[in-house]
Amino acid sequence: MSRLSSLAGDCGESFSVPLYLFHDVEQAYKGRTVLSIGRWAVRQGIVLGLVGPNGSGKSTLLRLMGFVEFPVRGTIAFRGDRVSRRRAQAVRSEVTLLPQDPYLLDRSVADNVAYGLSVRGVRRNRAARVQEALRWVGLDPDLFGARSVRDLSGGEARRTALAARLVLRPRVLLLDEPTAEIDAHSAQLVRRAILRARSDWGATVVVTSHDWTWLRGFCDEVHEMRDGRLIAMGHETVDPGAAGASVVISRSPSAS
Amino acid sequence: MGFLVDAFLKAIHLILRGDPATYSALATTVYVSTVSLAASLLMGIPAGFLLGYVSFPGRRMLRTLVDTLLSLPTVLIGLLVYGLLTRRGPLGRFELLFTVHAIVIGQALLALPIVTALTASAVEALDGRLRVTLLSLGAGPVRRFATSLREARYGVLAAAVTAYGRVLTEVGIAIMVGGNIKWHTRTLTTAIALETNKGDFAAGIALGAILLLLASGVNAILYGLRKRA
Repeated sequence: MSRLSSLAGDCGESFSVPLYLFHDVEQAYKGRTVLSIGRWAVRQGIVLGLVGPNGSGKSTLLRLMGFVEFPVRGTIAFRGDRVSRRRAQAVRSEVTLLPQDPYLLDRSVADNVAYGLSVRGVRRNRAARVQEALRWVGLDPDLFGARSVRDLSGGEARRTALAARLVLRPRVLLLDEPTAEIDAHSAQLVRRAILRARSDWGATVVVTSHDWTWLRGFCDEVHEMRDGRLIAMGHETVDPGAAGASVVISRSPSAS
Repeated sequence: MGFLVDAFLKAIHLILRGDPATYSALATTVYVSTVSLAASLLMGIPAGFLLGYVSFPGRRMLRTLVDTLLSLPTVLIGLLVYGLLTRRGPLGRFELLFTVHAIVIGQALLALPIVTALTASAVEALDGRLRVTLLSLGAGPVRRFATSLREARYGVLAAAVTAYGRVLTEVGIAIMVGGNIKWHTRTLTTAIALETNKGDFAAGIALGAILLLLASGVNAILYGLRKRA
């Protein structure tokens, strides 16, 4: 493990080590480069939105942040330490990713939600935690807990997958298009769950969406992606008199 | 038609009157088939999982080899095991030839490629999103193996049923390395071969009916398990 804290200074984070620090990261599939990021830092405890069109690299970036895949070039540091494949398993106990098209295990809804707890050896209050997580995403535990995932609608399945992540109370929650193919009410539940993750256990949340307006409603920062690059980074400026927060986008230093 | 009816009546008679020779062959058949299947599952499931799940150099060649072994004739396996276990063979000192253990070894070799290939196919057919899901939920390698295997359980169950059907009904290995010794290594299939050679077709068909009942019973149990799962 090599300390990459010094790089934080290059990103204007000299006061503390950022949660994530990307350094010349490139990802390619079958020789085709799909993501290229010079230097990029993510602060701890923020809700960060990633916006961009299809194929802009949002999902790839989230998979890299979840350490479920690794870049072909460059380094990613987590809490100042470079994460190798060997170290990734330990980091994944703090970070969890909800993919765009989540997969549910062929078992009941409650068993799916409890799976991550079982992996972590959590026995205490497991049933209560599962029920709580299901309620967070608007699924009645009495109605859905014992139901097979085969009997769920698309939206219910997505919310079950989200509950399976929330129940872990992860330090980092990565959500890839969590509102895709769900109704407005469910999108509202997802937003509430994100804010709860930050307020209840101080999670850092990174969420991707096509919906700029939806992201702007609750994200501290919104970064824009295009063609596998981060082209703009914004910081939230909250006007106390305004009903919602506004996001000012400024050109990233590495965008040129 | 009367010939067939007579044969089935004789089968029922053999079962109901508790013919010791028939029950001995039945017990030997169940014993060697079950032990050989258990051995092949113990080796074949992990091997099939690795073959279907892990990428390594030569994987495709190994997969082709395992697929080729699916059509290995039982007499060839019998010949190989005979060569290994005969007094002059490398394992001759264990004096296993013409024992039920020899049949178990041969049948395990017959079942192993079936279990391996079908388990590999079941694992290959798993949803590609499963791996990312398990990683993102923090599952380590052992947990990923166990969960993936559980997700592929119907395919693995099908592999076990197919392999059991194959070892239960094979005759080449049992007759070559078992020797068809009455009360000892005689199985239902070798007994059928013997009765047919003796010209007692009715007895052969009767034994065949018992074998068919046995195979159907096993399939029914496994079908029930699958339905419950």
